[in-house]
Amino acid sequence: MTANAEELELKDRLSLIESMIAEGRRTTQSYGWTFVLWGVAYYVAILWAGLSHGYLAWPVTMTCAALLTAILCMGRRCSHPPTTTGRALGALWSGAGISMFIVLFSLGYSGKMGLHIFVAVICGMLGSVNASSSMILKWKLQFACALVWWATTIYACFGKGNYLMTVFLAATFLCQIAFGIYLMIREARARRQGGNHA
Amino acid sequence: MPELPELNPVIHGKLRLALLSLLVGVEEAEFTWLRSKTGSTDGNLGAQLLKLEEAGYVAVEKKFVQRKPQTLYRMTEAGRQAFIEYVQSLKQMLGGAIG
Repeated sequence: MTANAEELELKDRLSLIESMIAEGRRTTQSYGWTFVLWGVAYYVAILWAGLSHGYLAWPVTMTCAALLTAILCMGRRCSHPPTTTGRALGALWSGAGISMFIVLFSLGYSGKMGLHIFVAVICGMLGSVNASSSMILKWKLQFACALVWWATTIYACFGKGNYLMTVFLAATFLCQIAFGIYLMIREARARRQGGNHA
Repeated sequence: MPELPELNPVIHGKLRLALLSLLVGVEEAEFTWLRSKTGSTDGNLGAQLLKLEEAGYVAVEKKFVQRKPQTLYRMTEAGRQAFIEYVQSLKQMLGGAIG
């Protein structure tokens, strides 16, 4: 084999390593649908609570969304291998979800819940978990989402109640639904680009 | 002139290298997932995984999930170390040829 052919073969091996590592990592990034699902769940709960003043709107919608997420995640786990990053992100979101459920359910049940507290808690927690996730993934766009959630938390503490729900709905649309759709498009594009190399 | 390193022949095979590169990024992977990512046949994939297992680079676990057999592969510490050394040797051999 000539020196040039040998160098080409070695370069081919290096590019094979890079593409396969990227293929393995891709499995941690297919979670755009969860953002959309939870964004829609918030809208459903707000609409339900607003129309019928039902105290069950939030607990029922959130439980359904959590069950749906768990079922879909279990299905995905069957076809995708677990990664350390994926497990770290899963633990982060599950922990935050359980904390939010406990705090909000307890506040609601004890009668101490108010719109300002409700939005401040949800947005504060979502800001925290999005920021942590963005640091793990080194992803600036998700950190921008965290900033939007934190800004909404500050508004919930200092702003007027009249616009609070509108601000919360806008943040939900931007950081859950729009961000989730963008993520899904990115994932679909990445899947199309990925092929077999060996 | 410094002596160039030898490339590990167990890892250098194209399919075995692809398998280790996939396994380095995940905790464990099913046989079917490895097959879909490499586009290899069952026979060839099984043979190459066996070579990696014999070298002590991958560990295999067979179990039943909902009455269906499942074969899981994960990279061992020795495999990780050998893979790192292989990549370092490869980069050293390519030298200035890579950016």
